[in-house]
Amino acid sequence: MLFNSLEFFVFLPLVFFIYWFLTFKSLRVQNVFIVIASYLFYGWWDWRFLSLIAISTVVDYYIGINLYKEKRESKRKLLLWGSLVINIGFLGFFKYYNFFAENFVQAFSFFGNTISSRSLNIILPVGISFYTFQTLSYTIDVYRSKLEPTKDFIGFAAFVAFFPQLVAGPIERASNLLPQLQKRRTFNYKQASGGLKLITWGLFKKVAIADSLAPMVDDIFSNVGTYPSSTLFLGVIFFGFQIYGDFSGYSDIAIGTSKLLGIELMSNFKFPYFSRNIAEFWRRWHISLSTWFRDYIYIPLGGSKSSLKTVIRNILLVFLISGFWHGANWTFIAWGAIHALFFIPLLISGRNRKFLNSFVLMGLNKSTLKEMLGILTTFVVVTLSWVFFRAESLTHAAHYFKKMFFDMSFRVYNHPLGYRMVDYFILLLLFVLYEYVIRKDERNPYKFKSKPLRFILYTLTIFGTILFYDSGVDRSFIYFQF
Amino acid sequence: MKKFVKHIVYFLALGLILGEIIARFFFLTSSIPERRIDEFGIQRYIPNQEGYSKGGTHKWYINSKGWPGKLPENYDNLITIIGDSFIENFMNPDSCHQMNFLKELAPEFNFTEASRSGVSFIEALEISKQLDSLKPKVHLIYINETDFEESIVQINSLTDITQLDLKKNKIVYGKMKAPGVKKILYNWKFIFYLYRRFQSSFKLPKPTKSTEITQNSFTNHFDYFEDLIDYCRKNYNLKKVVIVLRPDTDKQFSAFLQRQDLNVIQLDDSRDADWSFEHDHHWTCYGHQKAAEQVSEYLK
Repeated sequence: MLFNSLEFFVFLPLVFFIYWFLTFKSLRVQNVFIVIASYLFYGWWDWRFLSLIAISTVVDYYIGINLYKEKRESKRKLLLWGSLVINIGFLGFFKYYNFFAENFVQAFSFFGNTISSRSLNIILPVGISFYTFQTLSYTIDVYRSKLEPTKDFIGFAAFVAFFPQLVAGPIERASNLLPQLQKRRTFNYKQASGGLKLITWGLFKKVAIADSLAPMVDDIFSNVGTYPSSTLFLGVIFFGFQIYGDFSGYSDIAIGTSKLLGIELMSNFKFPYFSRNIAEFWRRWHISLSTWFRDYIYIPLGGSKSSLKTVIRNILLVFLISGFWHGANWTFIAWGAIHALFFIPLLISGRNRKFLNSFVLMGLNKSTLKEMLGILTTFVVVTLSWVFFRAESLTHAAHYFKKMFFDMSFRVYNHPLGYRMVDYFILLLLFVLYEYVIRKDERNPYKFKSKPLRFILYTLTIFGTILFYDSGVDRSFIYFQF
Repeated sequence: MKKFVKHIVYFLALGLILGEIIARFFFLTSSIPERRIDEFGIQRYIPNQEGYSKGGTHKWYINSKGWPGKLPENYDNLITIIGDSFIENFMNPDSCHQMNFLKELAPEFNFTEASRSGVSFIEALEISKQLDSLKPKVHLIYINETDFEESIVQINSLTDITQLDLKKNKIVYGKMKAPGVKKILYNWKFIFYLYRRFQSSFKLPKPTKSTEITQNSFTNHFDYFEDLIDYCRKNYNLKKVVIVLRPDTDKQFSAFLQRQDLNVIQLDDSRDADWSFEHDHHWTCYGHQKAAEQVSEYLK
């Protein structure tokens, strides 16, 4: 079920009212209802893959309990490996089987040996990368004795399948989500209204920004050869906004929906396009994934406490794995490598932790121009790297770059569906300005004292969403494919 | 919780009022005329209505006979123009109706229009039967292949469209579909705007079985079409009828009609600029003019 579908607009109010009016008296009933609603939400897409979630839930629940009971290290390691093999096994088979099979064949044929491979027609279960990482974090935390395993199976099943964040995150940690699911939720006006506001803002980002740019991005990336460099620059800038609107919009709706049910999820985006360097970008973009890699790969590998050579190796590894997590294609690995290349110099010069917890562009002073320059440079680097993310193959990306930089020419671009282009430029300009205004609090996009102003903004956002809605556009979320 | 629900209700109410003001002020939707079923079982509009097109660029009128457009000054040497939303033509000003262009191009004739969106071929013939009292020289019926398909119960049973039941050899007249709800929807402009905007999202795709796909393939309908034409030969004066096929009509269908020895004009837009609106398959004023030019050639 898509957040921006009619089914969800019926599903959510129904869940909300049943949750608060019928199940509010008992924690167990609340959690049973969350599990049922979550399975219905996921099964709406394809009920067959519910079995994967169910297997993951049962396996990690029992492994978690046994890890806690077991004192022998060898046995504990075996249990951890059991969870890793099952969870990553599912992920590997559904997401990466064809990639590895094809690349092995190519590698062998390169050395003069021919082997045959069988590509399988595998459907990628929606959200498998997200819920696999979430359950893995639970097992690893229990293994490291950072977390006591839960004995409440229903609560754990709700943690694994919690529908607002099941298919595209934020990838929650058990230490944040499980305790909330183990306490009976009571209705909180402020939390619920905050949730509705986030849903409204998230829908606007998805429908008015991401979906309205999608036809232009698709057109430009599919016809690289026919467009001049000016259009190709436009295409990749539009994709930058499309993917941001799409994914951060999804995250806002997920966090907002969760708030409506009395549960707080972690923030996933903190205005990443206002980052002053790549390191800051990664503290603001897809936070739940970057912190996951930090906690479960980078730190176990030695983190920043090893020799410089090891740290660089670790950083490179994390970025490459992060790229590969996004999809079974060399383009994603290249995308990760580019980010690593821009991150490593910051690490060597000690500037990677420069902008911790500081707000960007806070008034006019000496550093304003420097900050703006930093934002612009980071935006350019991030935007150019999106070419790899969006391209179908490395050849496609190379062709795009070649046309963009070595075939300099300008021509006015016309919308493929004949719409007025100026509307989209105005929309993006207003969007960037508004994001700048609200940049201090990503969880409250309407934080203004004046009630009439807030009402005007809610209305404008809703009308903007309706106005830019296009039924002809594929409405699914980009990150569902990961 | 009470406060939360109360605030949502207030916000929705305010939003609806504001939306209604905006929808009316900017003419976000065109106004839709009210219909009735006449004494012959045909759906037509309530006479003497008027309304605005989308964007408020022009007005439309329903004449005293219950059809869009003006009536001719006299009925001598008359040609009737019968059709669906293309002839109804609410999207263009009054001057862009087929009858006006044809009058300019063939002044020796008088023209009158009888059209309503969703008219099937058999319904168009039923309308022609009524108009026979005006003693027209020719009935021009503007259609394409879907209007033929929609004419036959056995292909696609549609309760709101007049159809022919080939098994019973009987006309089944269309019924008004939820007229009360429609009346509210058409007058509540903002809700109507939202309905039109999200209409396609309301339709859930129906799973089709492979056997159904074979049965529904277009060429398999030709047997039904032959039966329909046989029925029409017996019950209507087809010699007076000229079928005007839109340029987007399936070529196999066009050839099939010509093999049936019917009077057919196949319109052709291949040498012109686009006849249709950018986001609407209906003809623009230019498209209507071009269509009229080709029809007038035939009439000469």
